[in-house]
Amino acid sequence: MGKEKKLVVPHALFPWQPGKEGNKAEKRFIVAYGPHWHDGGKISTKNYNIVVAALPAVLMGISQYGAPALGVIALSMACAMVWEFVMNVVMGRSVSIGDGSAMVTGLLFGMLLPATAPWWVVLLGTFAAIVIGKQIFGGIGFNPLNPPLLALAMLVISFDGIFDFNEALLNYDLDFAMTYPLANLKAFGTAGIGEFGLGALFMGKQAGAIGSTFGLGLTIGGIYLLLRGYIRWEISLSFLAGIFITALLFNMADSAKYAGPAFHLVTGYTLIAAFFLIPEDSSSPVNFIPMLIFGVLAGVMTVLIRNIGAYVDGIPFSILLLNLANPLLDKIRPKAIGKVVENA
Amino acid sequence: MTSKGEQLFAYGLAAILLIVGVVCYASLAPEPPEEPIRLMFKTSAGKILFDHKIHTVEDGYGLACEDCHHEEQDESSSCSGEDCHGPDSEPTRADAFHTNCKGCHEETGAGPAECSACHMR
Repeated sequence: MGKEKKLVVPHALFPWQPGKEGNKAEKRFIVAYGPHWHDGGKISTKNYNIVVAALPAVLMGISQYGAPALGVIALSMACAMVWEFVMNVVMGRSVSIGDGSAMVTGLLFGMLLPATAPWWVVLLGTFAAIVIGKQIFGGIGFNPLNPPLLALAMLVISFDGIFDFNEALLNYDLDFAMTYPLANLKAFGTAGIGEFGLGALFMGKQAGAIGSTFGLGLTIGGIYLLLRGYIRWEISLSFLAGIFITALLFNMADSAKYAGPAFHLVTGYTLIAAFFLIPEDSSSPVNFIPMLIFGVLAGVMTVLIRNIGAYVDGIPFSILLLNLANPLLDKIRPKAIGKVVENA
Repeated sequence: MTSKGEQLFAYGLAAILLIVGVVCYASLAPEPPEEPIRLMFKTSAGKILFDHKIHTVEDGYGLACEDCHHEEQDESSSCSGEDCHGPDSEPTRADAFHTNCKGCHEETGAGPAECSACHMR
C-alpha cells in the first residue's frame, strides 16, 4: 500500500472526500483550523477607540456649554446601553453591551444634539437608535441604516424647535456669533454668513450640536481612526469631495445665494458625518468603487438638501438615503473571491 | 462574544453615566439669565432671531429699557399680552415691532429694514 494521501480541509463541511477509489474512499476527515490568523482585535477595542477619537470634539462641546452638554452625552450613552440591555433580555439573547457598540451609538447620538435637549428627547432618540435602528434587525452588524442618524432624522421631523439651534441656544452667550451658520445661509444667503471666518468655524467657534462643531477635533479623531484601520478613507474622502464639488458648482452658479465649498465642509454635521457616521460598517459598502459612489452621492445629496431642500442641514437624510442604496451599490463590480486580476 | 470583564466594565460605566446624566439634568441646569440674551419671535412670515443684548449693552446700541418697553413690566407680563399688543389690540404685536424696529433701523441707518433680512423662512 502506497503512501496514504490525506486531504486537509479547513473544516468538516463536506460529506465525503475523494480518495484512491473515488466515492468508495475511506471516510477520514482531518479537521484543521482555517487558514486565518486572528490579529487579536476585538469589537470592543474598536468601539473604545472610536470613543477616544471622539473625545476632543466632545470635550470642546462640554467646555462650551457646560454641565447641560455633559448631561446630554452621559444620559445618551447610558440610555443607549440600557435600551440594548433591555432588548437583549426581551429577545432572549446574550447581553451585548460589553462590546461597546451601544455606548458608541449613544455617544454619537448625543454629539448630534443641542446642549439644551430635554431628557425625554435623549430617551426617545436612543430608543429609536438602538431598538428601531439596530436591535430589531438583529443587533450589531445587521443594521441597514445608521442608528444615530435614523434617530436624529425621526426627531428632526417630529420636533422641529428642539433642533433649531438658534432657538435652542438662546440663553448662551459665548465669545463668537451665536447664530447657526447653516440657518443664516438658508435664510439670508451669503450676505448672512459674512461674520463667520472659516478658521474660527473649524476651531469650533460656531453654534451647533455638542460634538459636531469642533472641526479640528473631529478631523484629528477621524485621521486616527483612518490610520488604525477602523474606517475607510474611500468613504470619508469621497463624501467630503462630493460636498466640495457640488457646493462649488452651486457657488459658481450664484455666489450671492450659495456659499462656497469650504463653508459647507466646516459647518453643520459635515465633519462628524464624514469621520464618525457615514463610514459605519454595517450600513456602508465594502467594495472600492461602491464606496466611492456611496460617499460622493451622499455628499451631493447633502448639498442639494442644504441649498434647495426644505431642511437646514441635509446630512441625516442624505446618508440614510444612501444607506438604503447600499446593498445595490455593493453589487457593482464585486471582486470574485480568490480571483486574481492581473491587469489591475 | 464579550468577556466577563468587559461586561462588568460596561455595567459599571452605564451606571456611572446614568448617575452623571441624571445629576446634570436635575441639579446642574443653568438658570436663565436675568436679562434675555437673544429672543426668538415666531411669526407667520418666519422666525426672527432678535439679539436683545446687543441692543441694550453700552458697547452695543445702548438703548434704555423704556425705548422699547413703554410700559413698566414685571416678570408675568408679556409684550404680546391682550393689554398691549394682542391680536385685538391696537397696535398689534406685528405693527408695534415693525414700527419700532424698522423705524429705528431706518432712522439710524443701523440694522436691517427689509423683510427678508429679519424673517428667517
